[in-house]
Amino acid sequence: MANKSLGQKLLGVWNTKTIVAVAIGAALFGVLMNYGGIPVFTNTSLTTAMIVPVVVGAMYGPLPAAVAAGVGNVIADLIGGWGMWFDWSIGNFVAAFFVGLLPVYGAYITEGKFTVKHAVIYALCCIVGNGLAFGVVTPILTTLFYGGDLNVTFLQAIWGSLSNILVEVVVGLPILFMLAKRYASRSNLEEE
Amino acid sequence: MNNKLVINYIPGPTVLHKLTGFTKVLLFLVMTVAIIATYDIRILIPLLIINIIEIISMKPNYKPICTMFLITFVTVTLLGNVMLFIVSPDAGLNNVGANNVIWTSANGKFYLSKEFLWYMLAVFIKRTTSFASVMAFALATTPSEFASGLNKCGLPYKICTIVSLAYRTIPDIANDFINIRNSMMMRGVELSKKASVGKRLKNTVLILVPLIFTSFGKVSSIANAMDLRGYGKNKKRTWYAEHEQTKWDPVIRTLTVMLAVAAVYYIIRYRIIDPWPVNIWCPWLSRDEIVQTEKELFILNWFKKQ
Repeated sequence: MANKSLGQKLLGVWNTKTIVAVAIGAALFGVLMNYGGIPVFTNTSLTTAMIVPVVVGAMYGPLPAAVAAGVGNVIADLIGGWGMWFDWSIGNFVAAFFVGLLPVYGAYITEGKFTVKHAVIYALCCIVGNGLAFGVVTPILTTLFYGGDLNVTFLQAIWGSLSNILVEVVVGLPILFMLAKRYASRSNLEEE
Repeated sequence: MNNKLVINYIPGPTVLHKLTGFTKVLLFLVMTVAIIATYDIRILIPLLIINIIEIISMKPNYKPICTMFLITFVTVTLLGNVMLFIVSPDAGLNNVGANNVIWTSANGKFYLSKEFLWYMLAVFIKRTTSFASVMAFALATTPSEFASGLNKCGLPYKICTIVSLAYRTIPDIANDFINIRNSMMMRGVELSKKASVGKRLKNTVLILVPLIFTSFGKVSSIANAMDLRGYGKNKKRTWYAEHEQTKWDPVIRTLTVMLAVAAVYYIIRYRIIDPWPVNIWCPWLSRDEIVQTEKELFILNWFKKQ
């Protein structure tokens, strides 16, 4: 991961393994969105699904994470039966891109690298990404696509980003440390 | 658990099931765009009726559909409307364009207008139509047909593989999730409302870690199997699920194109050239009676200045 160019880190390497990982990530996203949350109100709940882009991003980069979240949300809508909400899918796409930036600032989970400094940058990325996605992108798309009530959309968006940030930090950080530890114990062999 | 999913893996016997994937995807996309673009009850009700006819013609198992509809109705419509009523009781004025008050609370803080009720009805019809179109599509389409149809619409086939693979692995992962959750609960990990929210979040980590490891552990074996069969070698790919057109395909495609033309005409005629002053058309208000209100949200004002 460390010796790749910035473009490769941003876009990810689209080989068969990445495709399968993104697909599994999308399915996991769909499942967690349907069964792993407590619904609060319209399209919004304290969902654990946002963990998926964290893991996919850590292993494959931001764009795979974003695709996993976007496709995952479309699939969740299909099996969940609450109708198609492309505004939220695109919002999740944007948020997941920021959340999945991990390899870009040097947190190579697959090589066991994840320090406190990375954790702080990760938390900042979560806040910026969710704020941008659900504070700007989703409300604009909602008014364009559906003409819903803006005040309600903003309330939902604020709740959505807060709960996402909470889940990403409180649940995501321990998982990232655990993943890094697990990979570190595997990768202490050096090539000769 | 399986009772709750409506995903189809085996193509069914009816006319709609037998269509090619491209026709289904095209119909679904046009339908979705038409539903998104219009907030007009005169357009939405015919679309709703079309979708209900589609669902009935496929003779599905109604039980999961009804359960889902009820859950969505309670969580989205009822709670959403209660919230809307508390947050912005003037939604009727903003979106329909008048305020014929029929009830006011004792302290005068909340009020209910005829237009607010009409707004709720329009939103409900829109959500139900959206729900029905998704249901009709999910009932008619298998994952492979979905992927082949998307590919024919011009999406790169690697994205299509992601969609079909994800769609296909959902029951497996859902089973894993339920199994892991049940076994963790057996070991005394509290996830119900007895534990505090912080404790529940902490306990969720205990479920998610094994779930992530089992799910992503499958990646390399699936990827190797696909590589061994030469996946991703060529620029194009044919689909096992894409078959010859049935005699109904041209009919449905023509109808879809007609629907698309009608939707585009409606959007250009009634939303760009001669837009109705407010979001939602209402039978008892003529154009002159409508009161337009300024949207008070800062982001929109910022956009207007540009």
